[in-house]
Amino acid sequence: MSGFWRSHRAWMAPTLFILPGALLFGIVIIMASIQTIWVSFFDWDGVGAMQWVGLANYAQLFDDPQFYVSLRNNLIWLGLFMLAPPLGLALALLLNQPIRGMRVMKSLFFVPLVLASVTVGVVFTWVYDPSFGLLSLLFGYFGATAPALLSDEHFVTFAVVVAALWPQVAFCLVLFLAGLNNLSEDLIGAGRVDGARGWPMLWHVVLPQLREVSFIALAVTVIGALRSFDMVAVMTSGGPFGSSTVLAYQMYEQSIFSYRFGYGAAIATVLFVIMAAFIAWYLRTLLKPERESA
Amino acid sequence: MKDVSSLIAGTHSRRQFMLGAGAVFTGITLGCPALAQSKELSIISNIGNAAQRDVLQRIASEYQKASGVTVTINNMDHEAHKTAIRSYLVVGAPDLCFWFSGNRMKAFVKRDLFDDISDLFERENYKSVLGPSAGAVTVDGKQYGLPLGGLLWGMFYRKDVFAEKGWSPPATLDELLALGEKAKSAGMVPVSIGTKEMWPAAGWFDHMNLRINGLDKHMALMDGKMSYTDPAMIPVFDKWAELVNAGLFGQNHTSFGWEQAAAALAQKKAAMMDLAGFVKYGFPQDQVDQIGFAPFPEITPGLARYEDFALNSIHVPKNAKNKENARDFLAYFYKPENLSAFLEAESAVPPRNDCPPSKDSLVNAAVESLKSVEGSAQYYDRDTDPDMAQEGLKGFQEFMVKPDRRDQILERLEGTRKRIFKA
Repeated sequence: MSGFWRSHRAWMAPTLFILPGALLFGIVIIMASIQTIWVSFFDWDGVGAMQWVGLANYAQLFDDPQFYVSLRNNLIWLGLFMLAPPLGLALALLLNQPIRGMRVMKSLFFVPLVLASVTVGVVFTWVYDPSFGLLSLLFGYFGATAPALLSDEHFVTFAVVVAALWPQVAFCLVLFLAGLNNLSEDLIGAGRVDGARGWPMLWHVVLPQLREVSFIALAVTVIGALRSFDMVAVMTSGGPFGSSTVLAYQMYEQSIFSYRFGYGAAIATVLFVIMAAFIAWYLRTLLKPERESA
Repeated sequence: MKDVSSLIAGTHSRRQFMLGAGAVFTGITLGCPALAQSKELSIISNIGNAAQRDVLQRIASEYQKASGVTVTINNMDHEAHKTAIRSYLVVGAPDLCFWFSGNRMKAFVKRDLFDDISDLFERENYKSVLGPSAGAVTVDGKQYGLPLGGLLWGMFYRKDVFAEKGWSPPATLDELLALGEKAKSAGMVPVSIGTKEMWPAAGWFDHMNLRINGLDKHMALMDGKMSYTDPAMIPVFDKWAELVNAGLFGQNHTSFGWEQAAAALAQKKAAMMDLAGFVKYGFPQDQVDQIGFAPFPEITPGLARYEDFALNSIHVPKNAKNKENARDFLAYFYKPENLSAFLEAESAVPPRNDCPPSKDSLVNAAVESLKSVEGSAQYYDRDTDPDMAQEGLKGFQEFMVKPDRRDQILERLEGTRKRIFKA
């Protein structure tokens, strides 16, 4: 036994360590994804018999005005979420000063990360409440009436995204703070000797060293924007009349409330394709310099 | 296990999987002890209010003492339960669960997920005491559940406010509009409504349609046999638009749930509200006796009175482990004195005609009012297909905000109706 182990240890140990994760990933992610794509070709209520309908679900989807509303909202999410990495970086630079009491400040900025996103959603729903919310108090102070942001079909998505940005900025802040701690003192010193200060220092010396962190922040932000679901569910349930629905929420709504699992699976598949396209691009850009330097 | 994996695979997000896994896990924890010994009974309850939960708990403990069967009650959030029931009926069913009679029950009967309890009906002779409400739990001559409280929908107001201002509940639509003007000049919202969860808007549609087109046409619409672009729909939406444009419903109602709308009524910020007896949850305990009930105003003069009368129900899942215990408990729970104690907590109308007379004024008002009701629907999202209901609720909410989009909305609903009912 021990002889067997000794001669095969080199490959068996890593295999055994990877196996649980790989197994779980295979079942939960890969198999589920494949089955989702399979289900999207059926008319299925989630309980009864499945009926093959071919591409009918997709044909209906591209005819569905709600789909385009969701897609547009996903783009709004994506666009506004792009603010999170630069804002997080700016805050990180601000908080990365050796000043007394800065630790307290830092932990205050971390607060939204500690809160569950459902809590953040509920808190912002109260802030936006037109009768007793913080926003209406603020407007009332200036003698104006606050708009009911969550009731307005044009503002509602922006209002939800702002709420979701709060923890997202904090997340990027943490990433960048960690990155700033790992800056090479030598490079910064060399930059100083060459007379770099302020912007040139940030642009030519600090940022290139934060390249990997920025990529992670960007990827997490894009994925966060595309899979946005919890905030929409908590704050508006996709309303008023579907105007703040995103693809992930529409998928949930169609599958669970309308009992259309096939249609929901078709939406999931479209979302999957969008995400896969992004991740492919992301991996390409991330892997290219690594391959070149290798 | 096939069912489990395909349920989970229905959506690919991890959250959905966790939900499914959670359901399976509860199923296992609920199921295993039951296999070991049959002196067990598990109930999943969707009851939201604490007083009614206490009554159920009390009845369960009394039953436990008398029979020696251990009763476990798992409380779930009312809205979350509506989605959870679909997975737990398939995997990890309890022995009893709460649900809604009529079309929503039929959906599960059709898929063979509720147990036929006609034998219990026979044994306890329920048909003789239930009357018409037995029909709501009957499919093809067999009973699949026991009807619980009936919710009669209508207009609620504060008696003290109406007395102080010299108002009386409106009997016609014109009177409603006139009252609306008076309420607005008194600085109140005429009709409090919270459409965040969308269904209150559909209830308003039900009332308008029942008052204008009557029950038969309304049910034809619910069954997908009538078009949403039918000329009969025009006066309904014309009149409704008139009410919206008159500012009857106040602003920003899509921001509020019904609880906030009921609170506005309780705080004298609104004159009336369209709901059922559970409106009292919005009131402080000592002011509940100020709540007055009036039927929805008449629109077409002389049309027989039809109302939304929604019946909740309790069922034995097909996959329950202890079906005999479940029947035994139901017989105990359904005794007139236990049932009426349970129902009084939500001011619901008892389905049995031998329940002791209620001390609750809202129950008595509903019972009295029901005497002149010629026929009843349940509620939009209980009467029509769930898929149709989802689109309908959304459409009615949109209409209450943007009445000028009527044609677009009705076209969309008609498209959905054609898809679902294959008309």
